[in-house]
Amino acid sequence: MSSSRQLWTQLRGDKAGMTGLIIVLFFLLLAVGVWAGVLGQDWSVANGGRWESPGAEFWFGTNLLGQDVFQRSIFSVRTAFEIGIVVAVLSTVVGAILGALAGWYSNTWVDGIVLWLMGVLDSIPFYLFVAAVAYALQGKGWAMQLAMIATFWTTTGRLVRAEVMKIKSREFILSARAIGLPDPIILTRHVLPNTTHILLVQTSIAFVAAIKTEVILSFLGLGVHDGVSWGLMLAESTQEVLAGHFANFLAASLMLFTLVIGFNLLTDALQDAFDPKQAAL
Amino acid sequence: MPYALRKVFHGLLLILGVTLISFILMVWFGPDQTYTLIGKNATAEQIEEVRRQLGYDQPFWQRYANYLTELFTLNLGASQSSGEQVTAILKRTLPVTLALMIPGFLLGNLLGISLGLTAARHKGRRIDQLISGLSVTGMSISFLVIIIFLQVFLSTPYGLNLFPVRGWQVTDPASYLKYVTVPTLSLIFVTLGYNTRFYRAVFIEESSKDHIRTARAYGASRTVLLWKHVLKNSMVPVITRFMFSIPLVVISGSLLIESYFGIPGVGKLTFDAITSGDQPVLKALVGLTAVAFVAIQILTDFFYKLVDPRIG
Repeated sequence: MSSSRQLWTQLRGDKAGMTGLIIVLFFLLLAVGVWAGVLGQDWSVANGGRWESPGAEFWFGTNLLGQDVFQRSIFSVRTAFEIGIVVAVLSTVVGAILGALAGWYSNTWVDGIVLWLMGVLDSIPFYLFVAAVAYALQGKGWAMQLAMIATFWTTTGRLVRAEVMKIKSREFILSARAIGLPDPIILTRHVLPNTTHILLVQTSIAFVAAIKTEVILSFLGLGVHDGVSWGLMLAESTQEVLAGHFANFLAASLMLFTLVIGFNLLTDALQDAFDPKQAAL
Repeated sequence: MPYALRKVFHGLLLILGVTLISFILMVWFGPDQTYTLIGKNATAEQIEEVRRQLGYDQPFWQRYANYLTELFTLNLGASQSSGEQVTAILKRTLPVTLALMIPGFLLGNLLGISLGLTAARHKGRRIDQLISGLSVTGMSISFLVIIIFLQVFLSTPYGLNLFPVRGWQVTDPASYLKYVTVPTLSLIFVTLGYNTRFYRAVFIEESSKDHIRTARAYGASRTVLLWKHVLKNSMVPVITRFMFSIPLVVISGSLLIESYFGIPGVGKLTFDAITSGDQPVLKALVGLTAVAFVAIQILTDFFYKLVDPRIG
């Protein structure tokens, strides 16, 4: 599948995939709204009573400090997208570059080093790795993102490596080499563009992994420190639910669930569109 | 090089890598411990003495070698928060974590395999669509959300109120069941979606191969097809999945479950070490689990050879 129009035709016929796409676009719109300063701006204002019930003023009620849970859950969309986009894009870029180098120079020392690095990073339990990175960086805000990028790229790297090894022996690459094009040009113009399908799916998968991981890390105290996120709201809610206050828990978990399932459905549809043979199985 | 030797050599390279990374993060770039260990108004000589004890005056490779020696002789020092020896803490906490995680880990995989098989056998039909749909839904729910929900639903007056809210007062099988049920259910729910989806794909891939079609054409019964051809030939990916998810589930799973339910196992220990910045405990945990995982990988490679003689 080469053209984006063909991809769109495939996708449009996939009901679940379209549902996913609409959900993702809707959340993106919310995030843009927050960035533009239109939505969720009063997330930190404490102008309500403690744990007020949902009503006309506070749609989802208030939290312990009297902050509007609705505003907080909307502002968290922006947090989720900021973490998701940074981690997804950078981990895919790193995976694409290192995977392509390993695949192009397969069975050389370059390949050996990249494979070793992937093996090593995959061998350290993820949350411990994050803890170690956070420990080394001592409270730097981007420790979480850095740790995710440093570990998420390996899957993309392996897939790109395998694909590049296949592409490398195809005729158009042999011709490109025969007419004397330098390696960097062949890699960037002819090899990498043919891995777009992997990169697109992996970006989507990494986005989901990033926002799900943020929740766990924020609960463990290793995640978001400034602002608000669904992870922080859930961390807050762990004490509240035992007292019967479910606003934080419901708002954060439902928003998170909807966005994640949207992305999961979209990812599945993309995978099917790129690989009809697999979809038919 | 023979298979076994090659695998062990590969494993050793990985061990060097994981220990190097944990050393760089935890010790080399880690915060200076001098003033944590020293009292107020220390003299320059005292500071110098502590720095020498910590090895701060030594070059990088020397300190890395020391770290390796510490790990492999299990000479891990004492926790900074409790003063207890790290090995003693591990001896006390590890059994709790294993007792806590093993039931959920096994059940999550067994259920995943059965659901995956059911879906694969009825591929494309109602039941497959239902199972696949539920898997995606399960995969989309956060671990933390599952834990909070099950706790509220099973252990509080807002739900069924059947089990203790948190803690681990295990003395006999009955109390074990009481405390292990909610964490086990959480673990099953969080892994089931991923497991089912993975196993379904493996079984579908295996059943669509030519030799299965041939066997069917020759009149092999469903049971023979399933057990002898599909399941047996799926063993390599199944074993890989099972072995490789051990560190993920045991370490990451216990970290969240134990810190949430206040269960005194390795996960809670890790959580406390993270929050208090307890360097001896953290560097022991990171180093040891990474080494253990590499050991598991080497073990897995030997399993492959057992189930598939072609490998090697």
